[in-house]
Amino acid sequence: MDNIIFELKNVSFSYLGKYPALRGIDMAIKKGQKAAVIGANGTGKSTLLEVLDGLIFPDSGTVKTFGEELTESALADKDFLRNFRSKVGFVFQNSDVQLFCPTVKEDILFGPLQLGLSPKEANARLEALMEIIDIRVLLDRPPHHLSMGEKKKAAILSSLAIEPEVLILDEPTAGLDPATVRQIIDAVIDANSFGKTIITATHDLHIVEEIADIVYVFGSDRRICRYGDAAEILKDTEFLKANNLVHIHSHRHKEQIHIHSHSHIEHHVP
Amino acid sequence: MSNSNRFIERSIMGALSFLKEAIYADEYASRKGFLQGLDPRIKAVTFILFLTQILLTKSVIVLLFLYALCLLLAKISRIDLWFFLKRTWVFIPLFTLFVAIPSLFSAFSPGEALITFKIFGINFIITRQGFQGAVLFVARVITSVSFAVLLSITTRHFQLLKVLRIFKIPQVFVMVIGMCYRYIYLFVEIIENTYRAVKSRAGASIHYKKGQSIAAWNIAYLWARSYQLNEEVYNAMLSRGYSGEPVVSDDFKAKAKDWLWLFCVSLMFIAAAAYL
Repeated sequence: MDNIIFELKNVSFSYLGKYPALRGIDMAIKKGQKAAVIGANGTGKSTLLEVLDGLIFPDSGTVKTFGEELTESALADKDFLRNFRSKVGFVFQNSDVQLFCPTVKEDILFGPLQLGLSPKEANARLEALMEIIDIRVLLDRPPHHLSMGEKKKAAILSSLAIEPEVLILDEPTAGLDPATVRQIIDAVIDANSFGKTIITATHDLHIVEEIADIVYVFGSDRRICRYGDAAEILKDTEFLKANNLVHIHSHRHKEQIHIHSHSHIEHHVP
Repeated sequence: MSNSNRFIERSIMGALSFLKEAIYADEYASRKGFLQGLDPRIKAVTFILFLTQILLTKSVIVLLFLYALCLLLAKISRIDLWFFLKRTWVFIPLFTLFVAIPSLFSAFSPGEALITFKIFGINFIITRQGFQGAVLFVARVITSVSFAVLLSITTRHFQLLKVLRIFKIPQVFVMVIGMCYRYIYLFVEIIENTYRAVKSRAGASIHYKKGQSIAAWNIAYLWARSYQLNEEVYNAMLSRGYSGEPVVSDDFKAKAKDWLWLFCVSLMFIAAAAYL
């Protein structure tokens, strides 16, 4: 039981009390696990991640983190808040939201300084992070001067700077070029190899196998319609198709029209 | 394209290019020049001394000397003088002269007549005192604006914001200004993209009524977007441990040349005060 980082029981959430975003979610994320939350657009993935990060609170059901209930009143306690924030890092889908400081360096230092580290310690962390993704040339630049990929790297480093036990990522590879995607996946896998728990929301099935051992699939009714081993779920093309996660792909190879479902697994078939 | 459309296009593009020019100015702040190499805190203090000097002096000679010094500082800080003059002289002649013109005349500044002329039978007299006052006023405005612009273009904006803290301005306030600056660019991008999207779909000519409704709708959309962004950014801050009191690092380091510069400017300030 101590091994469980997040435990959700029958969690439901609706925006403005009338637009349901999550319905009856049960989930248990273990320490050191790589979990992916997949689903089509608007199925509640981002909302779930915000619940896990204590940014919004469920209408009903319970969320436990590190054995304690995660509620608004629990986060009002300074010790609990500092403890929780130093253990959980969140990479937002929109990097512009996450990079709010005048320079990239200040953005990376923001978390450690808020959590009580001295400037010297925070700078030491910054140096260590440059070994993971080297963005030294970007440190003094304002975030609005960066490309989308550079912003994403800076956003991930700003979350890693707090040295969290859990890293939550919302669509970390959306809209990025293949080289940047590779760099980000490597950084995530590297973080997991050091014992960090990784929770990623995505609908990019190409990356799921690498960044997840366990997959939770969200259906259009905002419920978890299936969960289990990543490889098993990725093989079930019919199920993925039914949940808008793969589509029929038609393209021309020389003189032949070639039709197949556009899923990750086919790319590995010789 | 109708004239009204061109007016909207010119306004949008003018505003956007002004903001982009601000980004371009950041390039000057990153050049390796004299002022860029100074500690921003010391630089700000010395510029305040210059501005105080400008406000206190009643001598046009001292103002001209300070203006020449300002241009020299711009030159040794590798600022393109034409760019600098354009930036400082665009609004000054317009606004300052409008304010200064009435003070030329005897009705506002009585004294010794310098020039007398008649318009529609009314006698206008420009007095020596009025002329001297107007020259002093314009020289004072030009010199102070030039120093203020020089400080802002040779210092990166985030360093300027940090400098505000030495004047005991609360960190929250400094942070909010920084975020405003940061997110203005995001909205500029949205406006630019929206304008292009409208242009690509509607072609070159849009009926002005349609144009008005598109503009109104976009203002409303931007307002809604800024409201949403406000909430999202606050969540991003909370997520990284923000609890109402921002903490930031201060990595300024004053060197010997900064202290020497402060000493020279202070000496100049004291000497000028004694002379006056």
